[in-house]
Amino acid sequence: MKKIVSIVCSMLIMSVILTACKKTPIDNPQPVQQELITTIRLNVTNSSGFNKSFNYKVLNGFNSSEPGIKLVEDVELLPATEYNVEVTVLNEADTPAQNITDEIISENTEHLFLHQSLPETGAGSIAFSDGNKDDNGAPFNRTVKFTTGAAGDGTLIVTLKHQPTNKNANTPDEAGGETDAQAIFPIYLK
Amino acid sequence: MKYVLLLVLLYTVVPAHAQQDCKLNINVLVVEKHTGQPLFPVVVHIDELNATYETNEKGRVELGSICPGKYNFHFHSDGYEHYAEQVTITSSTELKFKLSHIEGVLDEVTIADAREQTLLQAKDGMDSKQIAANSGKSLGDMLQAVNGVTVISNGATIAKPVIHGMHSNRIVMLNNGVRQEDQQWGGEHAPNIDPFLANSLEVIKGAASVKYGTDAIGGVILVEPAPLRATQGTDAELNLAGLSNNRMGVASAMVNHNFKKLTPLSIRLQGTYKKGGNYRIPGYWVANTGVEENNYSAAAAWRKQHYGAEVFYSHFNTNLGVYRGSHTGNEADKLAAVNSDTPLVPADFTYELKRPRQHVEHDLGKAKMYLESSLGTWHATYAYQQNFRQEYDVQRVETDRAQLNLTLNTQTFNLNLEHRQIWKLKGEAGFDGIYQENFIQNGDRVFLPNYRSKGAAAYLIERYRAHDWTFEGGLRYDYRWYEAFNPEGSKQQVVRYEYHFNNLSGTFGATKKLSDKWQLSTILSNAWRAPQANELFSAGLHQGAARIELGNKNLQPERSYNLNIESKNTLGKKLSTEISLYTQYIQNYVYLEPGADLLTISGYFKTFNYQQTNAQLSGTDLSAMYNWNAYLKSNFMASFLFARNVTAHDWVILMPADRLSLSTTYTRDISPGLKECYISADAKFVFHQWRIPANFDQVDFPRPPAGYFLADVSVGTTLEAGKQPLYMSLTVMNLFNQKYRDYLDAFRYFINQPGTNVVLRVRVPVSFNNKKSS
Repeated sequence: MKKIVSIVCSMLIMSVILTACKKTPIDNPQPVQQELITTIRLNVTNSSGFNKSFNYKVLNGFNSSEPGIKLVEDVELLPATEYNVEVTVLNEADTPAQNITDEIISENTEHLFLHQSLPETGAGSIAFSDGNKDDNGAPFNRTVKFTTGAAGDGTLIVTLKHQPTNKNANTPDEAGGETDAQAIFPIYLK
Repeated sequence: MKYVLLLVLLYTVVPAHAQQDCKLNINVLVVEKHTGQPLFPVVVHIDELNATYETNEKGRVELGSICPGKYNFHFHSDGYEHYAEQVTITSSTELKFKLSHIEGVLDEVTIADAREQTLLQAKDGMDSKQIAANSGKSLGDMLQAVNGVTVISNGATIAKPVIHGMHSNRIVMLNNGVRQEDQQWGGEHAPNIDPFLANSLEVIKGAASVKYGTDAIGGVILVEPAPLRATQGTDAELNLAGLSNNRMGVASAMVNHNFKKLTPLSIRLQGTYKKGGNYRIPGYWVANTGVEENNYSAAAAWRKQHYGAEVFYSHFNTNLGVYRGSHTGNEADKLAAVNSDTPLVPADFTYELKRPRQHVEHDLGKAKMYLESSLGTWHATYAYQQNFRQEYDVQRVETDRAQLNLTLNTQTFNLNLEHRQIWKLKGEAGFDGIYQENFIQNGDRVFLPNYRSKGAAAYLIERYRAHDWTFEGGLRYDYRWYEAFNPEGSKQQVVRYEYHFNNLSGTFGATKKLSDKWQLSTILSNAWRAPQANELFSAGLHQGAARIELGNKNLQPERSYNLNIESKNTLGKKLSTEISLYTQYIQNYVYLEPGADLLTISGYFKTFNYQQTNAQLSGTDLSAMYNWNAYLKSNFMASFLFARNVTAHDWVILMPADRLSLSTTYTRDISPGLKECYISADAKFVFHQWRIPANFDQVDFPRPPAGYFLADVSVGTTLEAGKQPLYMSLTVMNLFNQKYRDYLDAFRYFINQPGTNVVLRVRVPVSFNNKKSS
């Protein structure tokens, strides 16, 4: 019986020692949202002095049971006009807000901006041209020329793809890879 | 393929003169030393055959097809001295062994046969021969050879066992007698155990909380190493395997030693290295699916007549890639990938691993002592485990950092008394304690909260054995306490949650020997499981599934009530059958219910909420073995499962489909140097799973894949050069390079299962003369 008691006691002491000496503070976990994007911003300019920004912003969404809060600005442009458009990507959940665009430019061979217009032609549509290229000379399309169609309403979808399998694609499905961010802007040409 | 033909030719050309050598019949009789009474039940273990038998009521064990040679017999019986003897067998004979009674001693199952007495539960498993025939596979894949066990997988590299439709945290794995705690809750978290450690794998099907504690709702998997050497000397074994499909090489070595000058001390060292590259599905390489593993373990035991101790340490280390195309950015990306017939991510062969990948290290240290006293045998076991899991996500910015660094520390303590027989009752009682911490590193991906857990339990299991009846009953009381620290809201304020669970579980079983050839068992058992942190608190994107899972803080423990009826029948010399019928009612069964679509900046995701319902899982496992003649053997297995959501009057989603398998083996000795040559063909048919819930299309797309048929062939032989045996085998898996998908594979949305895989295996046991002993 003495042996049993000594065995159990020695084990107990061992476990207490091990428990005592490995103290990790676990009561204050500080996880972060990895590489969060909240906002896609279109900076639209043209030779006639037009200069406006339009934001598409989703806060939340991940890591909460609440649906994302979506803030979208209407894109009002003139029909049958050319505009130069530059896309910037931000994380506005952090203060100060982080501009992620430079990161994406430095990884431009791994990224692709896609611009889609609904309808594709006619009233309320936009045609895209002169998208800029990545370091390998493949499409990157962070800066692009918009040519608006006839007066009307439409939709513009801007998608940022990560590691696309097809850099020459015109739609997200053709591009493959992973969707990093997608903005859907209402378009009003009048 | 050339080799296969060559060997087939060999079989037909070489005149097969049957060896009379290995046809000896040995009758073993075990009696009491002074009275000469036959003893039953006596556990008889034979080292060289690596087999364990039990005497019948006449104190006999009949051994057939024995080769001449030296054999070490070990005998254990309740209240008798452990007895070992070496016997040289030259002809068919009867061997009589006498055991002497000692006061106050129970069977010390620890010494020669590592198999602990388990409950009268539906058991099945794999012996060392079967394990060797499957070497190179992961533990999960290997276990598919057991009837009623399937896998849930992520392609060819991550496989987790599923028992009767249940997996992950509904299954307890015992690694060398210690509850493996390796964050097994995730679908892509494969068990971190080196299969080369195992000398036997045992699967207990059905609820088994009483003996194994919480979570054992689906069953228990026991990974048992071979016992350490009981006799002086040194032996070693080398295992090599090469797999063509992913150009994988596996090498594993083990050395055992028992000291001459220090007879109580035995030691073992063991290590495994494994490396494979991208695997191949018919027509394509699968990007980023390499795997690398290196594991080692050491064990030492100090054994005296009535007491002893052992220490064991194992380290498991793996790096594995995850198919890039299985991580998609949103629902639309996923649908595009699903609708593509070809893998969207092209690849060539490489051993290189890119993101997404996983790195896991699992350390387990164990100390165990046992002691025989007038009450019975005491066992005290303390174990410390650390599981460190890193996940490297696809990143926009080059970084060396893992996005998830999870550490799970677990300490377990068990005190167990196998009391000596009192009247006709034999049994055990004990106490279990567990302390656990799981935490991330600051700056990790938002995933699940840090938590602490403590648990304690007490149990009693008694067995009553009469003429041809055995009854067994057990009771256990568990208490479990949890605290979790969950960052919530936009400010990520840490909120503390506390949970208390306590439960009583029980088991009752009866076995009746209707005759020498027919045994019938009925077992009622019960188990429970506390909800896990991921089920309570998940609030994030599940990358491999492109969906958001939301925890439910109000989940109640699951309770399961299991009824199992089993019949084992030997019909004549040729046919034996096993039929097992089971039904299991699970109260508060946790499952994922589809919720609203959620908009994020990446687009829409489907969301799923953890909910509870009552479920009833019923099914059957059937197997039959038929010996056509002395050389030709067939084995048929079938398993069917009906999983109902009782509350909703509907099927439960994601349950394994019914399956049938038939394997036929022809074994023959060709010459003294070429023994046990075998050629075998295995066919497996898995049905289409049509038992899906009515709302399946809202939850998942596409519907479960079609049924499939797989064929494997294998040839093998034992080469004997002098006294040195060498086992080798060549197996072709998925012989016809079948294109198929499996419903329980997470990659079924994107790609087919692996194509043909040719595996060459070599096993060399080495026995040293004991002259060099230290």
